[in-house]
Amino acid sequence: MTILEMLKDTAHAEERILEAVQKAHESQKDLNAIVTFIDPAEQIAHLNEHKGGLLEGVPVALKDNVNTKGIKTTASSRILENYIPVFDATIVKKMREAGAVFIAKASMDELAMGGTNTTSVTGPVRNPHNLECMAGGSSGGSAALVAAGVVPMAIGSDTGDSIRKPASFCGVVGFKPTYGRISRYGIIPYSSSLDHVGVFTRSVKDAAVSLEVLAGRDDHDMTSSSLPVEHYLDAVKGDVAGKKIAVLKNVIDAIDDEATLHCFNDVIEGLKAKGAIVDVVEMNEDLLKALLPAYYLIANCEATANHSNLDGIRFGNRVDAETSEEIMIKTRTEGFGPLIRKRFVIGSYGLFWENQEKLFRQAQRVRRLIVEEVSRVLKDYDVYVAPAAPGGAPKLDDTSRDELSDKYLVADNHMILGNFTGYPSITVPMGLSDGMPVGINLTGRAFEESELLNIAQAVEDITGLCDSKVGD
Amino acid sequence: MEEIKDQAYFKALARKLMFELTDEEADDIVQEFKTLCVQLQLLEAIDTTGVEPMVYPFETPTVYLREDEENHTISQEEALSNASKVVQGHFSVPRVVK
Repeated sequence: MTILEMLKDTAHAEERILEAVQKAHESQKDLNAIVTFIDPAEQIAHLNEHKGGLLEGVPVALKDNVNTKGIKTTASSRILENYIPVFDATIVKKMREAGAVFIAKASMDELAMGGTNTTSVTGPVRNPHNLECMAGGSSGGSAALVAAGVVPMAIGSDTGDSIRKPASFCGVVGFKPTYGRISRYGIIPYSSSLDHVGVFTRSVKDAAVSLEVLAGRDDHDMTSSSLPVEHYLDAVKGDVAGKKIAVLKNVIDAIDDEATLHCFNDVIEGLKAKGAIVDVVEMNEDLLKALLPAYYLIANCEATANHSNLDGIRFGNRVDAETSEEIMIKTRTEGFGPLIRKRFVIGSYGLFWENQEKLFRQAQRVRRLIVEEVSRVLKDYDVYVAPAAPGGAPKLDDTSRDELSDKYLVADNHMILGNFTGYPSITVPMGLSDGMPVGINLTGRAFEESELLNIAQAVEDITGLCDSKVGD
Repeated sequence: MEEIKDQAYFKALARKLMFELTDEEADDIVQEFKTLCVQLQLLEAIDTTGVEPMVYPFETPTVYLREDEENHTISQEEALSNASKVVQGHFSVPRVVK
Protein backbone atom coordinates (compact mmCIF):
# COMPACT_ATOMS: atom_id res chain seq x y z
CA MET A 1 0.00 0.00 0.00
CA THR A 2 1.31 3.48 -0.83
CA ILE A 3 1.32 6.64 1.28
CA LEU A 4 -1.23 8.26 -1.02
CA GLU A 5 -3.60 5.30 -0.64
CA MET A 6 -3.25 5.47 3.13
CA LEU A 7 -4.05 9.18 3.14
CA LYS A 8 -7.36 8.44 1.40
CA ASP A 9 -8.39 6.29 4.36
CA THR A 10 -7.06 7.90 7.53
CA ALA A 11 -10.00 6.49 9.52
CA HIS A 12 -8.20 3.13 9.60
CA ALA A 13 -4.76 4.57 10.41
CA GLU A 14 -4.46 2.91 13.80
CA GLU A 15 -5.34 -0.49 12.38
CA ARG A 16 -2.73 -0.10 9.65
CA ILE A 17 -0.05 1.00 12.09
CA LEU A 18 -0.64 -2.05 14.28
CA GLU A 19 -0.60 -4.25 11.20
CA ALA A 20 2.75 -2.71 10.20
CA VAL A 21 4.13 -3.44 13.66
CA GLN A 22 2.98 -7.04 13.38
CA LYS A 23 4.51 -7.39 9.91
CA ALA A 24 7.75 -5.87 11.20
CA HIS A 25 8.00 -8.51 13.93
CA GLU A 26 7.10 -11.30 11.51
CA SER A 27 9.66 -10.15 8.96
CA GLN A 28 12.54 -9.97 11.40
CA LYS A 29 13.40 -13.68 11.40
CA ASP A 30 13.89 -13.67 7.63
CA LEU A 31 15.14 -10.16 6.90
CA ASN A 32 16.93 -9.11 10.09
CA ALA A 33 16.21 -5.54 8.96
CA ILE A 34 15.41 -3.99 12.35
CA VAL A 35 17.74 -2.94 15.14
CA THR A 36 15.10 -1.52 17.50
CA PHE A 37 11.32 -1.89 17.48
CA ILE A 38 9.44 1.25 18.55
CA ASP A 39 6.19 0.87 20.48
CA PRO A 40 3.78 3.22 18.65
CA ALA A 41 1.13 3.42 21.43
CA GLU A 42 2.00 6.95 22.55
CA GLN A 43 2.25 8.23 18.98
CA ILE A 44 -1.14 6.66 18.17
CA ALA A 45 -2.62 8.42 21.18
CA HIS A 46 -1.54 11.75 19.69
CA LEU A 47 -2.67 11.04 16.11
CA ASN A 48 -5.56 13.50 16.36
CA GLU A 49 -3.10 16.37 16.78
CA HIS A 50 -1.83 15.85 13.25
CA LYS A 51 -5.08 15.72 11.29
CA GLY A 52 -4.57 16.65 7.65
CA GLY A 53 -0.79 16.17 7.82
CA LEU A 54 0.88 14.88 4.67
CA LEU A 55 1.90 11.71 6.52
CA GLU A 56 -1.13 11.36 8.79
CA GLY A 57 -1.09 7.91 10.34
CA VAL A 58 1.63 6.61 8.00
CA PRO A 59 3.94 4.02 9.60
CA VAL A 60 7.59 4.88 8.94
CA ALA A 61 10.96 3.22 9.58
CA LEU A 62 14.08 5.27 10.28
CA LYS A 63 17.63 4.28 9.45
CA ASP A 64 19.41 3.76 12.74
CA ASN A 65 21.70 6.75 12.22
CA VAL A 66 18.74 9.13 12.72
CA ASN A 67 18.79 10.54 16.25
CA THR A 68 15.51 9.87 18.07
CA LYS A 69 15.02 11.35 21.52
CA GLY A 70 14.73 8.61 24.14
CA ILE A 71 15.07 5.81 21.57
CA LYS A 72 18.30 3.86 21.13
CA THR A 73 20.26 4.98 18.07
CA THR A 74 23.21 2.71 17.35
CA ALA A 75 24.18 3.32 13.72
CA SER A 76 24.51 -0.48 13.78
CA SER A 77 27.81 -0.13 15.64
CA ARG A 78 28.84 -1.82 18.88
CA ILE A 79 30.38 1.45 20.09
CA LEU A 80 26.93 3.11 20.12
CA GLU A 81 24.85 0.12 21.16
CA ASN A 82 23.77 1.82 24.42
CA TYR A 83 23.45 5.37 23.04
CA ILE A 84 20.09 7.06 23.71
CA PRO A 85 19.88 10.53 22.13
CA VAL A 86 18.58 13.50 24.11
CA PHE A 87 17.31 15.20 20.96
CA ASP A 88 15.44 14.49 17.74
CA ALA A 89 16.88 14.98 14.28
CA THR A 90 15.13 17.82 12.44
CA ILE A 91 13.54 15.36 9.99
CA VAL A 92 12.05 13.40 12.90
CA LYS A 93 10.29 16.55 14.12
CA LYS A 94 9.07 17.36 10.62
CA MET A 95 7.68 13.88 10.01
CA ARG A 96 6.05 13.75 13.44
CA GLU A 97 4.35 17.12 12.79
CA ALA A 98 3.10 15.71 9.48
CA GLY A 99 1.52 12.79 11.33
CA ALA A 100 4.05 9.98 10.70
CA VAL A 101 4.26 7.18 13.24
CA PHE A 102 7.68 5.62 13.75
CA ILE A 103 7.68 1.88 14.25
CA ALA A 104 11.29 0.78 13.78
CA LYS A 105 14.95 1.78 13.60
CA ALA A 106 16.35 -0.01 10.58
CA SER A 107 19.65 -1.82 10.23
CA MET A 108 22.47 -0.32 8.20
CA ASP A 109 26.12 -0.94 7.44
CA GLU A 110 28.07 0.08 10.52
CA LEU A 111 28.21 3.90 10.66
CA ALA A 112 26.85 3.89 7.08
CA MET A 113 30.26 2.90 5.77
CA GLY A 114 29.55 0.10 3.31
CA GLY A 115 27.45 -0.99 0.37
CA THR A 116 26.27 -4.44 1.43
CA ASN A 117 24.51 -4.14 4.82
CA THR A 118 26.56 -7.13 5.94
CA THR A 119 28.60 -5.17 8.51
CA SER A 120 25.91 -4.27 11.05
CA VAL A 121 26.69 -5.42 14.57
CA THR A 122 23.27 -7.12 14.47
CA GLY A 123 24.20 -9.19 11.42
CA PRO A 124 23.43 -8.99 7.69
CA VAL A 125 20.12 -7.79 6.26
CA ARG A 126 18.59 -10.21 3.76
CA ASN A 127 16.82 -9.28 0.54
CA PRO A 128 13.03 -9.94 0.62
CA HIS A 129 13.17 -11.18 -2.99
CA ASN A 130 15.74 -13.86 -2.16
CA LEU A 131 16.98 -14.38 1.37
CA GLU A 132 20.35 -15.62 0.12
CA CYS A 133 21.01 -12.20 -1.45
CA MET A 134 22.07 -8.93 0.11
CA ALA A 135 19.67 -5.99 0.42
CA GLY A 136 22.51 -3.63 -0.44
CA GLY A 137 23.79 -0.85 1.75
CA SER A 138 24.32 1.09 3.62
CA SER A 139 20.55 1.73 4.07
CA GLY A 140 19.66 -1.95 3.52
CA GLY A 141 17.27 -2.33 6.45
CA SER A 142 15.15 0.60 5.26
CA ALA A 143 15.08 -0.73 1.68
CA ALA A 144 14.12 -4.25 2.78
CA LEU A 145 11.27 -3.02 5.01
CA VAL A 146 9.71 -0.99 2.20
CA ALA A 147 10.21 -3.80 -0.32
CA ALA A 148 8.57 -6.32 2.03
CA GLY A 149 5.55 -4.04 2.41
CA VAL A 150 6.10 -3.52 6.14
CA VAL A 151 6.09 0.29 5.76
CA PRO A 152 5.37 2.51 2.74
CA MET A 153 8.20 4.89 3.63
CA ALA A 154 11.61 4.57 5.24
CA ILE A 155 14.36 7.10 5.77
CA GLY A 156 17.84 6.40 4.45
CA SER A 157 21.08 8.28 4.03
CA ASP A 158 23.23 8.31 0.92
CA THR A 159 26.94 9.15 0.84
CA GLY A 160 28.00 7.17 -2.26
CA ASP A 161 24.79 5.43 -3.38
CA SER A 162 23.51 4.11 -0.04
CA ILE A 163 19.85 4.76 -0.87
CA ARG A 164 19.85 4.36 -4.61
CA LYS A 165 21.74 1.03 -4.82
CA PRO A 166 19.70 -0.84 -2.17
CA ALA A 167 16.56 0.54 -3.85
CA SER A 168 17.68 -1.12 -7.08
CA PHE A 169 18.50 -4.41 -5.32
CA CYS A 170 15.18 -4.48 -3.43
CA GLY A 171 12.89 -3.21 -6.20
CA VAL A 172 11.66 0.03 -4.63
CA VAL A 173 12.02 3.77 -5.27
CA GLY A 174 15.11 5.32 -3.64
CA PHE A 175 15.45 9.09 -3.76
CA LYS A 176 18.06 11.50 -2.52
CA PRO A 177 17.29 15.13 -3.33
CA THR A 178 19.82 17.91 -3.77
CA TYR A 179 22.52 18.38 -1.11
CA GLY A 180 21.10 20.93 1.34
CA ARG A 181 17.47 20.25 0.38
CA ILE A 182 16.89 18.15 3.52
CA SER A 183 18.50 19.00 6.86
CA ARG A 184 21.21 16.63 8.06
CA TYR A 185 20.94 17.88 11.63
CA GLY A 186 20.74 14.90 13.94
CA ILE A 187 21.95 12.34 11.40
CA ILE A 188 25.07 10.55 12.65
CA PRO A 189 27.51 11.65 9.96
CA TYR A 190 29.76 9.66 7.66
CA SER A 191 31.22 12.22 5.25
CA SER A 192 29.86 15.73 5.71
CA SER A 193 30.44 16.97 2.18
CA LEU A 194 28.81 13.91 0.60
CA ASP A 195 26.07 12.84 3.05
CA HIS A 196 22.47 13.24 1.89
CA VAL A 197 19.19 12.31 3.59
CA GLY A 198 16.54 10.66 1.47
CA VAL A 199 13.71 8.15 1.31
CA PHE A 200 12.60 4.74 0.14
CA THR A 201 9.01 4.52 -1.08
CA ARG A 202 6.81 2.23 -3.16
CA SER A 203 6.01 4.85 -5.81
CA VAL A 204 7.46 8.03 -7.30
CA LYS A 205 4.48 10.06 -6.10
CA ASP A 206 5.12 8.90 -2.54
CA ALA A 207 8.71 10.09 -2.91
CA ALA A 208 7.35 13.50 -3.93
CA VAL A 209 5.05 13.68 -0.89
CA SER A 210 7.90 12.61 1.40
CA LEU A 211 10.17 15.32 0.05
CA GLU A 212 7.55 17.98 0.66
CA VAL A 213 7.53 16.99 4.33
CA LEU A 214 11.30 16.63 4.76
CA ALA A 215 12.64 19.58 2.75
CA GLY A 216 13.50 23.07 3.92
CA ARG A 217 16.05 25.32 5.54
CA ASP A 218 17.18 24.38 9.03
CA ASP A 219 19.43 26.77 10.93
CA HIS A 220 20.87 23.78 12.80
CA ASP A 221 22.40 22.56 9.54
CA MET A 222 24.60 25.30 8.15
CA THR A 223 24.68 23.60 4.73
CA SER A 224 20.90 23.48 4.31
CA SER A 225 19.39 25.58 1.56
CA SER A 226 17.01 28.52 1.95
CA LEU A 227 15.36 27.91 -1.44
CA PRO A 228 11.59 27.55 -1.09
CA VAL A 229 10.04 24.10 -0.80
CA GLU A 230 7.84 23.30 -3.78
CA HIS A 231 4.62 21.31 -4.08
CA TYR A 232 6.46 18.40 -5.61
CA LEU A 233 3.43 16.15 -6.03
CA ASP A 234 1.76 18.72 -8.30
CA ALA A 235 4.68 18.46 -10.71
CA VAL A 236 4.67 14.66 -10.97
CA LYS A 237 2.74 14.18 -14.20
CA GLY A 238 4.94 11.75 -16.11
CA ASP A 239 4.94 14.19 -19.02
CA VAL A 240 8.19 13.81 -20.93
CA ALA A 241 7.21 15.19 -24.33
CA GLY A 242 10.15 17.28 -25.49
CA LYS A 243 12.23 16.48 -22.41
CA LYS A 244 15.89 15.82 -23.15
CA ILE A 245 17.39 12.68 -21.66
CA ALA A 246 21.05 11.62 -21.81
CA VAL A 247 22.00 7.94 -21.60
CA LEU A 248 25.45 7.47 -20.04
CA LYS A 249 27.38 5.43 -22.61
CA ASN A 250 30.30 4.73 -20.27
CA VAL A 251 28.03 2.88 -17.84
CA ILE A 252 26.18 0.94 -20.53
CA ASP A 253 29.50 -0.17 -22.07
CA ALA A 254 30.69 -1.49 -18.70
CA ILE A 255 27.64 -3.72 -18.12
CA ASP A 256 27.58 -7.30 -19.38
CA ASP A 257 24.28 -8.43 -17.84
CA GLU A 258 21.92 -8.77 -20.81
CA ALA A 259 18.73 -8.80 -18.75
CA THR A 260 19.66 -5.50 -17.08
CA LEU A 261 20.44 -3.93 -20.45
CA HIS A 262 17.20 -5.33 -21.90
CA CYS A 263 15.10 -3.77 -19.11
CA PHE A 264 16.95 -0.49 -19.53
CA ASN A 265 16.43 -0.42 -23.30
CA ASP A 266 12.72 -1.11 -22.85
CA VAL A 267 12.45 1.95 -20.59
CA ILE A 268 14.37 4.08 -23.06
CA GLU A 269 12.09 3.00 -25.93
CA GLY A 270 9.10 3.81 -23.73
CA LEU A 271 10.43 7.28 -23.00
CA LYS A 272 10.98 7.90 -26.71
CA ALA A 273 7.43 6.72 -27.43
CA LYS A 274 6.18 9.29 -24.93
CA GLY A 275 7.97 12.04 -26.86
CA ALA A 276 11.25 12.35 -24.96
CA ILE A 277 14.39 13.21 -26.90
CA VAL A 278 16.99 10.61 -25.94
CA ASP A 279 20.68 10.81 -26.86
CA VAL A 280 23.63 8.66 -25.88
CA VAL A 281 26.38 10.78 -24.32
CA GLU A 282 29.87 9.92 -23.22
CA MET A 283 31.64 11.40 -20.23
CA ASN A 284 35.41 11.61 -19.88
CA GLU A 285 36.34 7.98 -19.14
CA ASP A 286 39.50 8.87 -17.20
CA LEU A 287 37.46 11.03 -14.84
CA LEU A 288 34.86 8.32 -14.35
CA LYS A 289 37.56 5.79 -13.49
CA ALA A 290 39.02 8.24 -10.96
CA LEU A 291 35.60 8.65 -9.34
CA LEU A 292 35.84 5.74 -6.92
CA PRO A 293 39.38 6.40 -5.63
CA ALA A 294 38.56 10.10 -5.23
CA TYR A 295 35.41 9.18 -3.33
CA TYR A 296 37.23 6.65 -1.20
CA LEU A 297 39.74 9.27 -0.09
CA ILE A 298 37.29 12.11 0.53
CA ALA A 299 34.73 9.94 2.33
CA ASN A 300 37.22 8.13 4.55
CA CYS A 301 39.24 11.25 5.38
CA GLU A 302 36.05 13.05 6.46
CA ALA A 303 34.81 9.99 8.36
CA THR A 304 38.05 9.68 10.31
CA ALA A 305 37.63 13.24 11.55
CA ASN A 306 33.86 12.95 12.15
CA HIS A 307 34.20 9.87 14.34
CA SER A 308 37.10 11.00 16.47
CA ASN A 309 34.49 11.84 19.15
CA LEU A 310 33.54 8.18 19.57
CA ASP A 311 35.83 7.48 22.50
CA GLY A 312 33.61 6.04 25.25
CA ILE A 313 34.07 9.05 27.57
CA ARG A 314 31.03 11.23 26.91
CA PHE A 315 28.91 8.54 25.29
CA GLY A 316 29.31 5.13 23.78
CA ASN A 317 30.09 1.70 25.05
CA ARG A 318 33.08 2.40 27.34
CA VAL A 319 35.60 -0.37 28.01
CA ASP A 320 37.31 0.30 31.34
CA ALA A 321 41.10 0.55 31.67
CA GLU A 322 43.79 2.10 33.86
CA THR A 323 44.20 5.35 31.91
CA SER A 324 41.99 7.62 29.79
CA GLU A 325 44.10 6.81 26.75
CA GLU A 326 43.71 3.07 27.26
CA ILE A 327 39.95 3.51 27.76
CA MET A 328 39.74 5.19 24.37
CA ILE A 329 41.94 2.61 22.64
CA LYS A 330 40.08 -0.36 24.10
CA THR A 331 36.68 1.25 23.52
CA ARG A 332 37.47 2.00 19.89
CA THR A 333 39.14 -1.37 19.25
CA GLU A 334 36.20 -3.32 20.60
CA GLY A 335 33.58 -0.83 19.47
CA PHE A 336 34.41 -0.58 15.75
CA GLY A 337 34.17 -3.53 13.38
CA PRO A 338 37.17 -4.49 11.21
CA LEU A 339 35.87 -2.73 8.08
CA ILE A 340 35.46 0.56 9.92
CA ARG A 341 38.92 0.41 11.40
CA LYS A 342 40.37 -0.33 7.95
CA ARG A 343 38.57 2.66 6.47
CA PHE A 344 39.78 4.95 9.25
CA VAL A 345 43.35 3.80 8.59
CA ILE A 346 43.03 4.60 4.89
CA GLY A 347 41.39 7.93 5.77
CA SER A 348 44.13 8.99 8.11
CA TYR A 349 46.75 7.88 5.58
CA GLY A 350 45.25 10.35 3.12
CA LEU A 351 45.31 13.10 5.73
CA PHE A 352 49.00 12.79 6.70
CA TRP A 353 50.68 16.05 5.84
CA GLU A 354 53.02 14.32 3.38
CA ASN A 355 50.00 12.73 1.60
CA GLN A 356 47.44 15.49 1.99
CA GLU A 357 48.39 17.44 -1.10
CA LYS A 358 48.93 14.53 -3.48
CA LEU A 359 45.99 12.43 -2.23
CA PHE A 360 43.28 14.31 -0.31
CA ARG A 361 43.61 17.64 -2.12
CA GLN A 362 44.07 15.87 -5.45
CA ALA A 363 40.82 14.00 -4.77
CA GLN A 364 39.08 17.31 -4.06
CA ARG A 365 40.47 18.82 -7.28
CA VAL A 366 39.36 15.80 -9.29
CA ARG A 367 35.96 16.18 -7.64
CA ARG A 368 35.68 19.66 -9.13
CA LEU A 369 36.59 18.38 -12.60
CA ILE A 370 34.03 15.57 -12.31
CA VAL A 371 31.34 18.03 -11.21
CA GLU A 372 32.16 20.26 -14.19
CA GLU A 373 31.89 17.23 -16.49
CA VAL A 374 28.44 16.33 -15.13
CA SER A 375 27.31 19.97 -15.37
CA ARG A 376 28.41 19.99 -19.00
CA VAL A 377 26.04 17.10 -19.75
CA LEU A 378 23.16 18.61 -17.79
CA LYS A 379 23.54 21.94 -19.60
CA ASP A 380 21.95 20.26 -22.61
CA TYR A 381 19.76 17.63 -20.93
CA ASP A 382 17.05 17.59 -18.27
CA VAL A 383 18.37 14.36 -16.76
CA TYR A 384 20.96 11.68 -17.41
CA VAL A 385 20.10 8.02 -16.90
CA ALA A 386 21.83 4.67 -16.50
CA PRO A 387 21.17 1.31 -14.84
CA ALA A 388 21.63 1.82 -11.09
CA ALA A 389 23.81 -1.27 -10.85
CA PRO A 390 25.35 -3.76 -13.31
CA GLY A 391 22.84 -6.44 -12.26
CA GLY A 392 20.65 -7.71 -9.44
CA ALA A 393 21.64 -8.08 -5.79
CA PRO A 394 24.69 -10.30 -5.25
CA LYS A 395 24.58 -13.28 -2.91
CA LEU A 396 25.49 -12.46 0.70
CA ASP A 397 28.74 -14.42 0.45
CA ASP A 398 29.72 -13.13 -2.99
CA THR A 399 33.37 -12.03 -3.08
CA SER A 400 33.86 -12.34 -6.82
CA ARG A 401 34.09 -8.65 -7.72
CA ASP A 402 37.18 -7.37 -9.51
CA GLU A 403 37.89 -3.99 -7.96
CA LEU A 404 40.01 -2.86 -10.88
CA SER A 405 37.52 -3.70 -13.63
CA ASP A 406 35.46 -1.14 -15.56
CA LYS A 407 32.37 -2.97 -14.34
CA TYR A 408 33.30 -2.21 -10.76
CA LEU A 409 34.88 1.23 -11.19
CA VAL A 410 32.21 2.63 -13.52
CA ALA A 411 29.03 0.51 -13.68
CA ASP A 412 28.93 -0.36 -9.99
CA ASN A 413 29.90 3.04 -8.64
CA HIS A 414 28.75 5.73 -11.09
CA MET A 415 26.02 6.96 -8.73
CA ILE A 416 28.75 8.59 -6.62
CA LEU A 417 28.41 11.34 -9.26
CA GLY A 418 25.22 12.39 -7.49
CA ASN A 419 27.10 12.83 -4.21
CA PHE A 420 30.06 14.66 -5.72
CA THR A 421 27.75 17.11 -7.50
CA GLY A 422 25.04 17.17 -4.85
CA TYR A 423 22.47 16.88 -7.66
CA PRO A 424 19.11 15.16 -7.04
CA SER A 425 19.09 11.51 -8.01
CA ILE A 426 16.48 8.76 -7.93
CA THR A 427 16.38 5.03 -8.58
CA VAL A 428 13.14 3.55 -9.91
CA PRO A 429 12.46 -0.20 -10.42
CA MET A 430 12.72 -1.26 -14.09
CA GLY A 431 12.39 -5.06 -14.08
CA LEU A 432 14.13 -8.29 -13.13
CA SER A 433 17.44 -9.94 -13.91
CA ASP A 434 17.72 -13.60 -12.94
CA GLY A 435 14.69 -13.15 -10.69
CA MET A 436 16.11 -10.16 -8.81
CA PRO A 437 15.01 -6.52 -9.19
CA VAL A 438 17.06 -4.02 -11.15
CA GLY A 439 16.57 -0.27 -11.16
CA ILE A 440 17.18 2.67 -13.44
CA ASN A 441 18.86 5.76 -12.00
CA LEU A 442 17.98 9.28 -13.09
CA THR A 443 19.90 12.39 -12.04
CA GLY A 444 18.82 15.98 -12.66
CA ARG A 445 20.00 19.53 -12.08
CA ALA A 446 20.49 21.05 -8.62
CA PHE A 447 17.22 21.85 -6.82
CA GLU A 448 15.16 20.76 -9.85
CA GLU A 449 13.55 17.88 -7.98
CA SER A 450 10.15 18.56 -9.55
CA GLU A 451 11.46 17.91 -13.04
CA LEU A 452 13.38 14.81 -11.92
CA LEU A 453 10.32 13.36 -10.20
CA ASN A 454 8.16 14.14 -13.22
CA ILE A 455 10.47 12.17 -15.53
CA ALA A 456 10.81 9.36 -12.94
CA GLN A 457 7.01 9.11 -12.97
CA ALA A 458 7.13 8.51 -16.71
CA VAL A 459 9.51 5.59 -16.08
CA GLU A 460 7.11 4.16 -13.50
CA ASP A 461 4.22 4.54 -15.95
CA ILE A 462 6.22 2.62 -18.55
CA THR A 463 7.22 -0.27 -16.29
CA GLY A 464 3.98 -0.43 -14.32
CA LEU A 465 6.10 -1.21 -11.26
CA CYS A 466 4.25 0.96 -8.77
CA ASP A 467 3.65 -0.55 -5.32
CA SER A 468 4.71 -3.92 -6.71
CA LYS A 469 4.87 -6.83 -4.30
CA VAL A 470 7.79 -9.15 -3.66
CA GLY A 471 7.34 -12.07 -6.06
CA ASP A 472 5.24 -10.12 -8.60
CA MET B 1 52.74 5.19 -7.23
CA GLU B 2 52.38 4.81 -3.49
CA GLU B 3 55.08 2.89 -1.68
CA ILE B 4 53.93 -0.55 -0.50
CA LYS B 5 53.51 -0.59 3.29
CA ASP B 6 53.81 -3.50 5.70
CA GLN B 7 51.74 -4.77 8.59
CA ALA B 8 53.77 -2.88 11.21
CA TYR B 9 53.19 0.42 9.40
CA PHE B 10 49.41 0.06 9.50
CA LYS B 11 49.41 -1.17 13.09
CA ALA B 12 51.34 1.94 14.15
CA LEU B 13 48.96 4.13 12.16
CA ALA B 14 45.95 2.50 13.82
CA ARG B 15 47.46 3.14 17.24
CA LYS B 16 47.63 6.87 16.39
CA LEU B 17 43.90 6.67 15.66
CA MET B 18 43.39 5.16 19.12
CA PHE B 19 42.61 1.57 18.19
CA GLU B 20 44.42 -1.71 17.57
CA LEU B 21 44.47 -4.02 14.57
CA THR B 22 44.89 -7.77 14.79
CA ASP B 23 47.62 -9.38 12.66
CA GLU B 24 44.94 -10.65 10.31
CA GLU B 25 43.31 -7.21 9.96
CA ALA B 26 46.65 -5.52 9.35
CA ASP B 27 47.44 -8.15 6.75
CA ASP B 28 44.09 -7.49 5.02
CA ILE B 29 44.93 -3.79 4.84
CA VAL B 30 48.35 -4.57 3.34
CA GLN B 31 46.63 -6.59 0.60
CA GLU B 32 43.83 -4.06 0.03
CA PHE B 33 46.35 -1.23 -0.05
CA LYS B 34 47.95 -2.83 -3.12
CA THR B 35 44.60 -2.59 -4.97
CA LEU B 36 44.06 0.92 -3.65
CA CYS B 37 47.49 1.98 -4.93
CA VAL B 38 46.53 0.92 -8.47
CA GLN B 39 43.25 2.85 -8.13
CA LEU B 40 45.11 5.87 -6.79
CA GLN B 41 47.23 5.89 -9.94
CA LEU B 42 43.99 6.60 -11.85
CA LEU B 43 43.46 9.57 -9.57
CA GLU B 44 47.01 10.86 -9.72
CA ALA B 45 46.99 10.62 -13.53
CA ILE B 46 44.37 13.39 -13.82
CA ASP B 47 45.89 16.76 -14.67
CA THR B 48 44.58 19.17 -12.05
CA THR B 49 46.92 22.05 -12.73
CA GLY B 50 45.20 25.29 -11.74
CA VAL B 51 42.13 23.49 -10.35
CA GLU B 52 40.89 24.54 -6.92
CA PRO B 53 39.92 21.76 -4.47
CA MET B 54 36.15 21.36 -4.11
CA VAL B 55 35.19 21.10 -0.45
CA TYR B 56 31.38 21.19 -0.65
CA PRO B 57 29.05 20.60 -3.62
CA PHE B 58 27.81 24.19 -3.72
CA GLU B 59 29.64 27.39 -3.11
CA THR B 60 26.57 29.57 -2.53
CA PRO B 61 26.76 30.84 1.08
CA THR B 62 24.31 29.15 3.45
CA VAL B 63 25.87 30.40 6.68
CA TYR B 64 24.57 33.62 8.22
CA LEU B 65 25.40 35.62 11.32
CA ARG B 66 22.67 35.48 13.92
CA GLU B 67 22.01 37.40 17.10
CA ASP B 68 24.15 36.15 19.98
CA GLU B 69 21.19 34.80 21.86
CA GLU B 70 21.10 31.58 23.82
CA ASN B 71 19.02 28.90 22.12
CA HIS B 72 18.89 25.17 21.77
CA THR B 73 20.39 24.19 25.10
CA ILE B 74 20.33 20.87 26.90
CA SER B 75 20.40 20.32 30.65
CA GLN B 76 23.43 19.04 32.53
CA GLU B 77 21.53 15.86 33.26
CA GLU B 78 20.88 15.33 29.56
CA ALA B 79 24.48 16.08 28.66
CA LEU B 80 25.70 13.43 31.07
CA SER B 81 22.97 10.88 30.39
CA ASN B 82 25.02 8.80 27.96
CA ALA B 83 28.29 8.80 29.89
CA SER B 84 29.33 5.48 31.46
CA LYS B 85 30.83 7.18 34.50
CA VAL B 86 29.71 10.45 36.05
CA VAL B 87 30.98 11.92 39.33
CA GLN B 88 29.51 15.07 40.86
CA GLY B 89 28.14 16.33 37.56
CA HIS B 90 31.27 15.64 35.53
CA PHE B 91 32.41 13.00 33.03
CA SER B 92 34.70 10.76 35.01
CA VAL B 93 38.01 9.26 33.83
CA PRO B 94 40.85 7.58 35.75
CA ARG B 95 43.09 9.90 37.77
CA VAL B 96 45.61 11.63 35.47
CA VAL B 97 48.03 12.98 38.10
CA LYS B 98 49.07 10.23 40.46
